[in-house]
Amino acid sequence: MASQPSKPPPSSQASSARNSQQGLRYPSTGKTIYHRPLNRSRTQELSQAGFAYLFSEMVGYAQRRVTGIQDLEKRLNVQGHPIGLKLLDLLLYREPARTQLRPLNIIALLQFITTVLWRHLFSRPADALEKSSNPDTPDEYMISDNEPLVNQYISVPKEMNQLNCAAFVAGIVEGACDGAGFPARVTAHSVGKGEEGELWPGKTVFLVKFQPEVVEREAYLGKT
Amino acid sequence: MSYYFAIIGTQDNPLFEYEFGTAKQGGDGVARFPEQARHMNQFIVHSSLDIVEEVQWGSGQMYLKCIDRFYNNYVSCFMTGGNVKFLLLHAPSQPAASTTARASTSIAANPTSPQTEEAIKQFFTETYENWVKTIMSPFYQVNQEVRSPVFRSRVAAAGKKYL
Amino acid sequence: MAANKAARMGEEVWKTRVDKVNAELVTLTYGTIVAQLCKDYENDYVEVNKQLDKMGYNIGLRLIEDYLAKSNTMRRCSNFRETAEMIAKVGFKIFLNITPTVTSWTSDSKQFSLIFEENPLADFVELPDDGRSQDELWYSNIFCGVLRGALEMVQMQVEAHFISDVLRGNDTTEMRITLIRYIDDEMPQDDD
Repeated sequence: MASQPSKPPPSSQASSARNSQQGLRYPSTGKTIYHRPLNRSRTQELSQAGFAYLFSEMVGYAQRRVTGIQDLEKRLNVQGHPIGLKLLDLLLYREPARTQLRPLNIIALLQFITTVLWRHLFSRPADALEKSSNPDTPDEYMISDNEPLVNQYISVPKEMNQLNCAAFVAGIVEGACDGAGFPARVTAHSVGKGEEGELWPGKTVFLVKFQPEVVEREAYLGKT
Repeated sequence: MSYYFAIIGTQDNPLFEYEFGTAKQGGDGVARFPEQARHMNQFIVHSSLDIVEEVQWGSGQMYLKCIDRFYNNYVSCFMTGGNVKFLLLHAPSQPAASTTARASTSIAANPTSPQTEEAIKQFFTETYENWVKTIMSPFYQVNQEVRSPVFRSRVAAAGKKYL
Repeated sequence: MAANKAARMGEEVWKTRVDKVNAELVTLTYGTIVAQLCKDYENDYVEVNKQLDKMGYNIGLRLIEDYLAKSNTMRRCSNFRETAEMIAKVGFKIFLNITPTVTSWTSDSKQFSLIFEENPLADFVELPDDGRSQDELWYSNIFCGVLRGALEMVQMQVEAHFISDVLRGNDTTEMRITLIRYIDDEMPQDDD
């Protein structure tokens, strides 16, 4: 005997007809997103478990809509991308005036990502930032995270053991790079498997591959 | 002084536009662009985008100050982290017959003075805060037009407060 | 009073036994989930609500063990009123660090409301201005599924739905929860 959903009390329901010209309704307090201070939730905390449940549902849902690990990682990347874009401006907004600078070169951008952004999301900076030493790929950089938070509660079934759900974080990084004017492709790679007694079995390397125009611009700006 | 404010996305598309005039020192806050100038505003602002592209890689500052001039129209620029450009075209109005000597130091009459520069910076900074609030919503997609009347009223309030 | 005891327990568990993360990580992750659903279902908000409820149900089935372990409750709640207080002061507290208010009990003590003064999942959120979202989408619908799934695992069949949401322009965000029956030895009904 399921109960019928009840209508909202008349006093809080607008009576006028709805169409897009009417615009959004707001509570009678008049509070909108513009009233809320941007820094209110800056240091607020929730449970890691809460994040883990949401994240694993996100992965499970994506898994049901794709075929194959690559597609799944791509979907997770796509879901992370807008977050990177948003965080870029949110974190820049929160920087004190003397460090409120747009990154002008690759290193400045990646340092912002591996320190400011990583610290905000994961309470610690990334573990390493390296440039590819391969002369054929001067456009590649690697960010290392020994123990990605997003993977901590995820149990990947054996048949999918190449899957790295940190593809979501790769998407966040990619969003930040794209937004800042350094278009790139970012992918997550598990490097911590297979060795006996290794210190960081879950270690993940984020490979950041910048588009050719970014490398060209760096070279050009470096000369002037 | 009359102002034309535009937010331009990463595809050079306008996301938001707003015209207003000086509210300080007895100004009525209404823009006084001659009719033909109105069409020119968009064009001037758009053509200054080329200069923005050059300037943005020379300075990490978000506030790029006055970057372009077209006759009596000055264009100031503020660049967000996401490469969205705030452009403010400011055009001093023709001085009225009753202008006193005092008015000549006002923001309205001096488009490039340090006070004006500072006032514009404050206008941009406050607008930036509202911009970040806009983009933080999960339903805001990149390069989407901003239609919120609340955002518009916030921009208007900032214009009134600083300019 | 059960409420005070529950509140103290919730506070204590939150302080000492919960690993924490930055709240905005959770807010933004939930945001991208909802936005993706809206895209996948082409803004069929009724369907999005269903999916959110389903996801919540899956979470609830697993979350209950976590809750029982953390709250270290040795005994079952003696009545539905106590259950409500535990949900509000301990359950929501240890996962989301919020304590919604329990109110509007029916006289048979089978139905109550949860009023959310704060909702971290909805921070920064403004619904799309398309003339429909505010009438059709329940942004935080995942909560309803979580409660349904979690309580089912402790032998309670409940129905939960939102009746108002500040994102819709209402003055409060309120969820209505109804106890349908206690589940005895029957298998819980399959969720489709």
